[in-house]
Order: sequence, then structure tokens, then C-alpha cells
Amino acid sequence: MSATGALKGLRVLDLTGLKGALASRLLADMGADVIKVEPPGGDRTRSLGPFAGNQPHPDRSLSFWFYNLNKRSVTLDYQHARGAGLLLRLVESADVMIESFKPDHLAQFGLEWDELRKRNPALILCSIAPFGQTGPWRDFEADDTVLAALSGMLYVNGFPDEPPVRPLGLQAYHCAAYYGAIAIMCALFARERTGRGQWIDLSMQEAAAWGVEHVAPSYFGTGQIARRRGTLHWAGGFRVGKCRDGYILHSISGDWSTLLEWVKADGAAQDLTQPQWEDPQYRRDHAAHLFDVLDAWVRDKSCVELEQRAQMLRLPYAIPHSINDLPRDEQLVARNYFVEVEHPELGRKFLYPGAPYIFSHTPWRLYRRPPLLGEHNDAVLGGELGISHEEIAVLRAEGVC
Amino acid sequence: MALALEGIRVLDFTWVVAGPAATRVLADHGAEVIKVERRASGFMLGTRRAGLMADLNRNKRSIAVNMAVPAGVELAHRLVKVSDIVVDNFSARVMRQWGMDYQSLARIKPDIICMSMSGFGHTGPRANFVSYGPTLQALSGFTLDMQDEQGRPAGFGYSYADMAGGYSGALAALIALWHRRRTGEGQFIDVSQFEALVSVVGPSILDLTVNGRRQPPPKWSPQEEPAAPHGVYRCRPEGEDADRWIAISVRSHSDWRRFVAAIGSPRWASDARFHTLFGRMQNRELLDRQVARWTAEQDAWQAMRRLQDASIAAAVVSNAEDLCKRDEQLKARNFWPTINLPDGGQINLTGIPFQLSETPGALRRPAPEIDQDRDWVLSEVLGLGQSERQALLAAGAIYTD
Repeated sequence: MSATGALKGLRVLDLTGLKGALASRLLADMGADVIKVEPPGGDRTRSLGPFAGNQPHPDRSLSFWFYNLNKRSVTLDYQHARGAGLLLRLVESADVMIESFKPDHLAQFGLEWDELRKRNPALILCSIAPFGQTGPWRDFEADDTVLAALSGMLYVNGFPDEPPVRPLGLQAYHCAAYYGAIAIMCALFARERTGRGQWIDLSMQEAAAWGVEHVAPSYFGTGQIARRRGTLHWAGGFRVGKCRDGYILHSISGDWSTLLEWVKADGAAQDLTQPQWEDPQYRRDHAAHLFDVLDAWVRDKSCVELEQRAQMLRLPYAIPHSINDLPRDEQLVARNYFVEVEHPELGRKFLYPGAPYIFSHTPWRLYRRPPLLGEHNDAVLGGELGISHEEIAVLRAEGVC
Repeated sequence: MALALEGIRVLDFTWVVAGPAATRVLADHGAEVIKVERRASGFMLGTRRAGLMADLNRNKRSIAVNMAVPAGVELAHRLVKVSDIVVDNFSARVMRQWGMDYQSLARIKPDIICMSMSGFGHTGPRANFVSYGPTLQALSGFTLDMQDEQGRPAGFGYSYADMAGGYSGALAALIALWHRRRTGEGQFIDVSQFEALVSVVGPSILDLTVNGRRQPPPKWSPQEEPAAPHGVYRCRPEGEDADRWIAISVRSHSDWRRFVAAIGSPRWASDARFHTLFGRMQNRELLDRQVARWTAEQDAWQAMRRLQDASIAAAVVSNAEDLCKRDEQLKARNFWPTINLPDGGQINLTGIPFQLSETPGALRRPAPEIDQDRDWVLSEVLGLGQSERQALLAAGAIYTD
């Protein structure tokens, strides 16, 4: 087993804020050396609550913690010529730079792609912008809600006569971050052959559209506009019902005769015994009635018993949990999903969500807690760029770092 | 032009959605993805000519192999020997039963990478649970916590879990391939789609584990930058269609001033309660009623344009037609490219969400029908002659047309 991560040796400069920070974290988790380059006042994410212990402080933002685990932090004002110069020196030894500014923002400070690649022809620049770097909307404003709206992710969640329901979590940002990391990996493979880096133009809207399953393919396939159907899954296989003690997710995606036998044995099959229900297409087309019958069937059952029995019969039923249940979830606990992260300056350890995938030889690892603001200025600016303590003090006084 | 992942061969046993979504992005960037399929799969979501299956399986090859006979497994083993990574999304026992688990395959090809994308991973009390996307969304909190205004569970109208499994799997595969290129070492990746999904819930989980604060339903998006107005507002019907909405996010003070001006400086906007972001958040319901009165008179697309012209983050809540036909940005970036079908027809597919400047991905071929590339795989990939193919047929490993 390798002692270090799969991405050991890769140096990533992370200039993103909330919009792209997960992209470099995914790489940091697998061993890349990710340096978060923050303005001297700190990445804006640091001002985003909630805060640890409910005390607002740049080093206590839980959003910052979540998105910046395993990274280092350097403060640098690249809008200052001296800061831009230092950033270019960091670029010389970097494999990847990720930014999520508005298109052309970096060019104002002499940090456009042509300049960056002149300094380091092997550099990969990943630009994550709401609508990408081109097109009529490239300068439009957006946050996660707006991107969810424009990707088709939002319209299809919720009940027909009610407002669309927003996703839990910043899923447009998360899609963009994962595809950003994927794009960077692709560019690294290309670089192995050519020796050259390249510029990745990632549109968050398009990445979020990759987080939608059926909307566009159904439209192009059949001309149909997918609508909100409450909890009824678009393909007709699932709907949420109510037991005597809570909700249950019904499914007709398991073996039909197994489910029917069970419902029949309970004397609750109503008309489902009629032959037309044998046809899977008929079941999907008449799913609303089918699930009404199943709802009546489970009304007096307990959800735990129902889930257990269903799973024993290999029917994909489940009890809808709240995210509040996740730290105690037996599957997550058994697989040690949550990891303890020590924050020595707070004198405490906290549980963080851990690996999204388990690698046998180069596992996801906790390398370091999220960095304090500018924590690695001395190590990176001093140690690696060779700037003296005196000079760093001057830079600090001038607001460059 | 060369593609980024040329030279990588993926042996793809995946089906339904999550697995094919993971290998799609690899195929788009030039990996040779060979689907190893069953002749008749119980699962159908339309055809491969159009719709979701056409989208997920473009750029791939297909061969049907009968894994129930020893000669079929032997054929699969020969394919493993010339592949870089084997991907499946069965529950743990399936590949083991076939002798296709990592331990068995590593004996045949020591540097092979195996990635299994099961619902819950290969260990833990739910390792053998049956699950589809909606099952995972229920257990991870998305279904219950994405609520409508009455507090009813709504959740996603589709399997976001499959799309999250897809991007997580694609990234994991690329990271393992990178490690192998560097060190020659293969490995096993145990992707639990459940954990992949829990990993994108976001910082709310830290608020729970660090502060012990139970998380309310995320109606007001507590994970995003604070904003008010912030949400989805009903617009004027468009012809027969009353289901028109606009998403609006007003964050800073200057946002608010521009927003008020853009909607014609109504009297209510000068209410002292709305002067600060804090005040607007405190009086959100009152504010939302006022904003909704304005949006109710507006055409969604025109209101988006008007607000974006004032640099306000606002967007139509796109339905399929908005997304695929009316969205000028996606059109300008050619996000719905067409591809020719073998029978002379043409369909639109989802484009690639990131542009690599030197090695952009490409749509090279439409999704294969099951077993379409049998001859190509046997002769071009394995170099088998006529007599060997006859033997495979006689042994029941492959099929005839």
C-alpha cells in the first residue's frame, strides 16, 4: 500500500470562493498539495455562517471548513502588482490553478491565460464560471438557486400546483466542482502525452444540467416536458406514502409478483390482481392509482417492519430519514464514514463527513484540518519562494499578504 | 485532434443510470468504453435510439456475454487482461459469483483497477440492501428534508443520487488511473452511492456535528450566501401555461438598490423594514408577498432579462422546453449537439459541460444497441479468428444475431 495519496506531487493553486472550492478539496483529499490563495481579508466563505460554537470568526466558518479541509492557506493580494508577481512565481511550480471569478477578471491584473502559460506551459487552468467564458450570458449574475433554476434541476421538484422545491445543499455548485475536478484529471492525462497544459472552460449551468436525469433526454426523445409530480419519481417506480408512525418510500421497481403476493396476503390488493397490472408499462402509466392502493395497504403498518420485510424480499423500500439522522446512521457508522478532525487551537475534535469512495491502496485521507487564514504564508512565501522574514513583514504592512 | 483519455480501455459492466453516467464522461474524452451486457436486461428506460439511454451510452461499444456459462466468464477474463479498469454497479455479490471480483481479477492482471459502484458499498449492515436512486435519496435525507411549504416531503423528482454516483465514480476512476500511470499499481475502489450522496449534503452536517444544532428543512437555503428576496416566485401565465416561475437572489445593499429600481421603485420598497439585508431576512414573508405581487404581472423571460440587465441574479425556472430550445446561452455553447443515427435519423444529446482548450471531448458515435460491436470487440480488441469465435458461440458465451 502506498503511504501517500494517489495525487501526491500535484500542486494546485485554489483561487476560488464558495463556487469552486469543492473542486480542489476533492483533489486535496487524495493527496494533492492544494494552496488556497486568499485575499488578505480572507475568502468570503470565511464570513459565511453557521460558525463553530456560534462565534462568528474567519477561522470558524463551517462552510469554509467543509469546503477547505486538507488545504493550506496563503494570503496574497493579486490586485496589487507585487502580489500578482508573487502569484506568478507560485504558478511556475504549480500543476493546476482553479479560479471561479467572472470571465476576464484576472486579465485586469495581468493574470490572463496567455500570461500564465507563458510562465508555465505545463499549467492547467480550470475556470469555473456560472455560464462559462463565452456566450451571451457569460456576464450574468448567478448563485446556486439561479443555476439550479437554469439547469432544469429545480422545475421538476415538488408538487404540481406549488412552487418548485430547491435542492438540499448547493447541488449546482457541487456538480460544477466535481466536473471541474474531472476536467482537471482529463487535462493531466493529456499533459502526459503533450507536455502542455490547457485551459478548461467550465460552465456551472452545464455541469448542473449534468446533475439532472430525465428532463432533456425525455424532451428530445418524445417532445414531452417533464413536470412536478410530488414524490412520484419521473419513471413511475417510486412514491412516498405514510405508515402509522411515519413516512415510507414505496417502490414498484423490485419484483412485481413478490410485492403483489405480499399485499394480497394482507388482503389489501384491491384491483391490482387484475391481469393488466402484470404489464410493467401499464403499471408505470397508472402509477398514481397503484401507489394509492399501496398507501392504503401500509396505513396501519410500522415503517421499520415494512422496510425490513421489503428489503428481505429485495424490494427497494426505504424510510425517509432526515439529515439529522446521518451521524448515527448504522451503515455510515459501520464503514467509519465520519472522521475526527482535531482543531488544536480550539482544543477540540469534530466529526467531519469523510470519503465519498473507498480506495484499497491510496485511500481518502485526512491530511490537515482546514487552514487558518494565511497559516502557511511563512512556509510558502518564505520557505518555498525564499522571501525573507523582513520582506514578508513589509508585504504584510503593505497589505500584499 | 487527440482526446484526453485516448489509450484507456474501460470494461463496463454497469447498467441502469449511475454506472453509465460515470463511464459516459470517460467515453466523451476518448476512453474506449466497452459495455459488457446481458442479452435481455429486465431494466428498460426506453430505447438506445433516443432518450436517457441514448444520452448515457453514447461513444461506447457493446458486446453481450453470457456470464452464466464458464466460457462467458473466460471471455470476460480475456477482456480484463487488455483493459485498464473494470466498472460495475451491482450489489457486492454479483461480480463475486462470476469470479469477477477484484481478488480474482488481480490474479489475472495484477495492475487492474476494479471499481464497484454499489448502493451501499461492499461492507456494513446495508451492503445487501436493494436500492435505486430514490431509495438512497430517502435514506440520506434529501426526500424528507426537501419539503414543500406545508412541510410535506417532496425531494427530487428524479434520481439525483444516480447523477451524484456518476460524477463521484468518474472522478474516482480517473484518480485511480492516474495513480496507476504513475506507479503501475492497480487497486479496488468501493464506491458506495449512498456515501457519495451524503458527501454532497454540504456544511449543514457540520453544523449538526460541531454545534449539535438540529437542521431545519433548508427552505431558505442556509448554506448559501444570505440573500433576501431569495427564492422562487410565480410569474404571469404564458398562454395556457400557468406554471411559470422566476428565481431571484438579492444579496448586497447595492443589489437591493438596483433591484428596487429595476422593478420600478414601488412604494412598499421604501418600507424601513426592508432597508437592510437583516431587516429583509427578518421580514421575509412580507417581502416575498410584495415581490410575488410584482412577478405575478411579469413574463418570466422578460423579468429575467430586466433583472439581469440590472446585474441581479435572476433566472427563469427552466422547464424542458426552456432548457433545450429557448436558452440562448446553451444554444450559443452548442450544449445540445446533434448526432447521426445509423438509420439516417438524427437526435440531440447533452453536450460536454467543460471545454478543454487543447483536447475538447467529442460525440463520436451514438449509443450502441446491445451486442452491436460483438465482431469488433472479438476481432479488433481480442484478435480472435473465425474458429475461436465459433468455439465461443458453441460454448454459449456469445450470441448470434
